[in-house]
Amino acid sequence: MKNRSLSFWLFLTPTLIALALVVFIPMLEGLFYSFTDWDGLSFTKVVGFQNYATLLQDKAFVNAFWFTVAFVIVTVIMLNVIGLGLALLVTQKFKGSNFLRTVFFMPNMIGGLILGFIWQFIFTQGFSALGTTLHLGWLNNWLTNEVTGFWGLVIVTVWQMSGYIMIIYIAYLQNIPNEVIEAAKIDGASAWQRFTKITFPMIAPAFTVCMFLTLSNGFKIYDQNLSLTNGGPYNSTQMLAMDIVNTAYNSSNFSLAEAKAIIFFIIVAAISLLQVFYNRKREVDL
Amino acid sequence: MKAKVWKRLGLLAMAAGVTLSLAACGNSGSSKKVKVTILQGKVESNKQFKQIAKEYEKTHSNVDIEITSIGGGTQYNPVLKTRISSGNSPTIFSLAGPADAKQFKAYTADLSKTKAAKNALPGTVSAVSTNGKTYGLPFNVEGYGFVYNKDVFKKAGIDPTSLTSYDKLEAAVKKIDSQKDKLGIKGVFALPGKESWILSDHLMSLYLGQEFNGNAQKLYNSKSIKFNNNADMKQMIDLQKQYSVQPVMQMDYAGQVNQNFSQGKAAMIQQGDWIYPTIESVDSKFAKNNVGMIPIPVKGEEGKLPVGTSLYWAVNKKKTTAEQKAATDFLDWLYTSKAGKKDVVNTLHFVPAYKGYEGMKMPDALTQVVYEYSKDNKTIGWAFPGYTGTSWDPDVAQPNLQKYLSGKQSWDKTVENLKDGWKKQQSNVSN
Repeated sequence: MKNRSLSFWLFLTPTLIALALVVFIPMLEGLFYSFTDWDGLSFTKVVGFQNYATLLQDKAFVNAFWFTVAFVIVTVIMLNVIGLGLALLVTQKFKGSNFLRTVFFMPNMIGGLILGFIWQFIFTQGFSALGTTLHLGWLNNWLTNEVTGFWGLVIVTVWQMSGYIMIIYIAYLQNIPNEVIEAAKIDGASAWQRFTKITFPMIAPAFTVCMFLTLSNGFKIYDQNLSLTNGGPYNSTQMLAMDIVNTAYNSSNFSLAEAKAIIFFIIVAAISLLQVFYNRKREVDL
Repeated sequence: MKAKVWKRLGLLAMAAGVTLSLAACGNSGSSKKVKVTILQGKVESNKQFKQIAKEYEKTHSNVDIEITSIGGGTQYNPVLKTRISSGNSPTIFSLAGPADAKQFKAYTADLSKTKAAKNALPGTVSAVSTNGKTYGLPFNVEGYGFVYNKDVFKKAGIDPTSLTSYDKLEAAVKKIDSQKDKLGIKGVFALPGKESWILSDHLMSLYLGQEFNGNAQKLYNSKSIKFNNNADMKQMIDLQKQYSVQPVMQMDYAGQVNQNFSQGKAAMIQQGDWIYPTIESVDSKFAKNNVGMIPIPVKGEEGKLPVGTSLYWAVNKKKTTAEQKAATDFLDWLYTSKAGKKDVVNTLHFVPAYKGYEGMKMPDALTQVVYEYSKDNKTIGWAFPGYTGTSWDPDVAQPNLQKYLSGKQSWDKTVENLKDGWKKQQSNVSN
């Protein structure tokens, strides 16, 4: 810290204060409330780990947890595969590649809530109209059970976010020096070999970033969940964030919701950081 | 030269600013205006309440009323809590039932001595009263049942008022269903499977409420529920589901009211008088001429309409006496004065929950039905406010009934879960 001048702290302090006021202090407060019987207004006693014990037996929370985990696994794989695929596609030199970049990125500019409502219409009205004309039974009754609810959420999220992931991959793909690829070509490497042995290791930092983004986004998703299914039918498509909000505001059980939020925070932080730590090791420098 | 002008201008501006701020101080110091802040949950009446407040301020120049409306049960409570804990609590706020009354007990003043409370119709304040003290004044009364399409019933040759038992209703439904194409409807009912409260709040209240005499407070305090006549409820769900516009599980409120009923695609829907403005916004002619309401036939309660109150006014106990008095004065004026009564009926379109409205005509067909049933005392109380504020409703009742509706769970298992869930919740509350 010796080499840090006065101006360093001068510039840092406003941000630190802002962060402390809206993030650190509320978090500590929340941590404290999770050990009490707080109802949003006041608390009468400290109850220790009772909220945490309740939460483990809370079927809705456990259900939401596994639903979210499944959702995260599926979306992380699909987003990265599709995002990278789109990036590879639009970095090929052909007419209209710039136009396609814009098109693929566009869904990301629409807010999640609006997207959810638009897709709700597509899933319920559009899909069933298509299903009736083409006599495809599986297109009917979307969002009326947990399976179609799950895939509905996956489709909306992947459709919205893959353009964003694509942009990140594009940035790294364009940074790969041409001479390396050329040298490989002269050495007789096939297209597949060039991709797995050169391109992929070279964009490993992008992979770290995208994994982090898709992972944490998948865990924290709320708006699409709210507008597309609102957790229904019978709370089966309720994800972690929504379960926490509902526990607090619908059931007025603020302290239990706080406990859930703390657990949620620990899980997301642990998985995201572990992932970054592990992927960093695989990154290569030229 | 120029610089001097600017300097002078600057000085002038400063002087003006100082005088203005002084004047402002003097102003607020000398007048003894009492400020009444209102936070309420009936967001659809926001404009009307503001209009009434303005009118009240004209005749009561010492009062300044400020109204904030927050919609939907899910958003209102957090806002009220935030305002209370940030020291900006409202003078008047709304409560949704016994659970709210309990939660905000430290803030609700005893209103039993107000003129409005003395004039409240019997039973309308029981949900927010404890030990003979009244902590809330009803906004209005509302009623629900089967809202029907007069035209369709006429063409099918059925008198809706004759459907006083389940068997008669079932026969009529089958008769209408057999002439669906001729009548130009897609289904007899439109049951919105997505809106779990249609079943869990309104329908279940009729069957579950019987053992509590339709008293929400009794249900709220009960350790267990028997739910003996659950088979009747199953029958009613099954009937509505079978003869509804399909697919039931994809239909929401807008699908039920806007897309199906208001456009004449369903013969009747299970709804209440509050949907009238929605129907009117879709087709005002249809709303005016074609809409009526009959009670849902429940064994033992034939010919009775479930009528109750969804919101109550509460006055903040922690405010000064002058502010509390101004608040109760306003509520008394609204519900018991001549001008106030007119506003309640004609501006707010409320069916009054108070005495002294004899001879007034309700502004639309559905409120008229509710008014007539309550005038003739042919009503059953709402039991559901006894559980809507508890976690049993969103966590147990709604998902379980939805599971049954979508065919994922048997009725017996559903009833068992409902009973167990209630017992569990109530045993936690006691300690």
